[in-house]
Amino acid sequence: MKKKLDIAKWEFLEKVRSKAFLISLILMPVLMVGFAILPGLLASKPDTRIYTLGVIDETRELLPTFSKKLEEKYRIENDLPNYVIRNLWIGGDLNAVRQEAVQLVAKGEIYGFLYIPSDVMLNGKVEYRAENVSNFRIAERLSRTLEETLTEKKLIAAGFDASLIKELRTRIDLRSLKITEGGEEKESGFLQTFFGAYIFIMMLLFMVLSSGQLLIRSVVEEKTNRVMEVLLSSCSANDLMVGKILGLSALGLFQVAIWSLIGIALSLQLGTNIVAVEYLWLLAVYFVLGYLLYAAIFVGAGAPVTTEQEAQQITTYVSMTLVFPIVLAVPATQNPDSILIKVLSFIPFMTPSFMLLRISVQLPPVWEIVGTLVLLAVSVVVAMWGAGKIFRVAILSYGKRPTIPEMVRMLRTR
Amino acid sequence: MLNVSNLRKEFDTIVAVDGVSLTVNRGEVFGLLGPNGAGKTTTIRTILNIIKPDEGTITFDGLPFNERTWNAIGYLPEERGLYRKSKVLNTIVYFATLKGVEPKEARRRGHGWLERFEILDRAQAKVEELSKGNQQKIQLIISLLHQPQLLVLDEPFSGFDPVNQILLKDILLDIRKQNTAIIFSTHQMEQVEKMCDNICLINKGRPVLSGSLRQIKQQYGKNSVHIDFEGEGGFLKDLPMVKKADVYQNYCELELHDIRQSGELLAKLNGHLLIRRYEIVEPSLNSIFLDVVGHQTSPVAP
Repeated sequence: MKKKLDIAKWEFLEKVRSKAFLISLILMPVLMVGFAILPGLLASKPDTRIYTLGVIDETRELLPTFSKKLEEKYRIENDLPNYVIRNLWIGGDLNAVRQEAVQLVAKGEIYGFLYIPSDVMLNGKVEYRAENVSNFRIAERLSRTLEETLTEKKLIAAGFDASLIKELRTRIDLRSLKITEGGEEKESGFLQTFFGAYIFIMMLLFMVLSSGQLLIRSVVEEKTNRVMEVLLSSCSANDLMVGKILGLSALGLFQVAIWSLIGIALSLQLGTNIVAVEYLWLLAVYFVLGYLLYAAIFVGAGAPVTTEQEAQQITTYVSMTLVFPIVLAVPATQNPDSILIKVLSFIPFMTPSFMLLRISVQLPPVWEIVGTLVLLAVSVVVAMWGAGKIFRVAILSYGKRPTIPEMVRMLRTR
Repeated sequence: MLNVSNLRKEFDTIVAVDGVSLTVNRGEVFGLLGPNGAGKTTTIRTILNIIKPDEGTITFDGLPFNERTWNAIGYLPEERGLYRKSKVLNTIVYFATLKGVEPKEARRRGHGWLERFEILDRAQAKVEELSKGNQQKIQLIISLLHQPQLLVLDEPFSGFDPVNQILLKDILLDIRKQNTAIIFSTHQMEQVEKMCDNICLINKGRPVLSGSLRQIKQQYGKNSVHIDFEGEGGFLKDLPMVKKADVYQNYCELELHDIRQSGELLAKLNGHLLIRRYEIVEPSLNSIFLDVVGHQTSPVAP
């Protein structure tokens, strides 16, 4: 056991000290924040500036109501209006005014302008022009407010009372509540559940990928520089395998732990709710078993590899099986009881991902939990045994990669 | 110390080693010789328990390989390499701890060895920053820092300049004095001749010659003449009394049919060559090696 721990310690410390580790440690959260959080932050970030928008109202009757609604509804800090409307046309040559408006936009005096044609009551067509039309929020707000204005006008024209119209308009604010096993209600949205489970699967994926890849690479390195022979004259192949798995798993855990801390710190900073996950211990069991299964697969698949390129290929193939459930994550969250999802949950490679997902959504029946756990545990034992056999023979094979029949023979050796 | 009997190891299609037996005692330098691909490395790997033999037994002080044997053996493989990105002293300490040496003690001894090899200033450098020769020194330190009882060195001298070869030779002799058994695998015969007590020569997986160096040389008899000369020596190999000739520009090794003809030979040379040295000697191990391997003789008992 001491040798295993010595090896684990070495693998851990040497990798932790490496520049590559430091870079991935920093780069990964940066990328994650960049890809996942930043667009959301930007899109939902409240405006802080006042937009001056021009309006050319050919109907000559919509503008007052429209601008009043827009200014009242959308406010920024200090109760200032988000949008200020400037009437661009009081009469005269319409075309000249439109050209003038374009000039105003170009000069930056107005952000954009809305052209409401006289037949808007009939076909509802309007035009919005601006230098930056991808700011869909402004366009969307303009069209919604105009729609309200038009509806109101039509209703009044049809003889409805103005105060009645206000009463008719009800704002819908949907709250969704998740009912837990204990019967309590808990506020939670689909997205929250989804991401709760998702984070666990992503963590599993990252751990498997990062430590799996390191595992293969360290074996390849020791084969190329022939350190392998010195190691094997100091300890058994089994010590070496277990030591490596232990050391690099610790490394993976360390990495994920740091990322989680960064994540939690960030969410606290931003005031986001942290999803409290139920059945954490059960998730942990699936997590650990799943991780061990993949570690065994990486060892078995990686030991015969002799070059970095092959190592890359193997990593890609193995991680595919892990990524597959992520593709099915959305349907699985929406409908965890479907037969397909149940069946897939019993395939050991996919058990961890699917069960992590399903447990977060809704606790599956006990027989399914017990069944998948037993199956998963048995697969881990079998995979570890096979990996050990292959490892023992394959780490000394240089040159060409063994064929499948050769691998089978390795499994049979004493 | 080490006893190997009737070792046999097959790989998929070839028999790598067959019927190799050898005994190595403490305080002895044992030469494992043979041409490339003869099965030296396979024999070594089996002794070190890196691979399992198909047949035959290997015992250390009468006991089969066990948990404690790991820490009693040291190995310098022929193909050299280390963790390139790791620091020199850290690497040394890691391998020593794997061999059961306390890290603190390993660090202390590591310092000592680096000093003896005159590379103490590189202790904190990364391995890849070292020259090839210096990397080889590190590997050597790794193989012997834990004071093994059996030290296996595969071509230890190759890659060292003459100065370092002498340093290495001195170190090996020191270690041998500390009652360590050393197995020395090589095809550099001069080194073997200078250092080994007993040898085993294997060819195509089978032992063809084994025993003490002295006995083997005696067995091959004193029928060789070494001559340093000036002149055109091309005619030497055509002389009737010469059985085999190895002629260089200013030097030759001749094997005679009968050593008593050496006087005749000397007479023949007169007038043709300017002789600087004329010596009747035991055959060099090199010529025995060439003889045995070249002629594909069947196993010879010591």
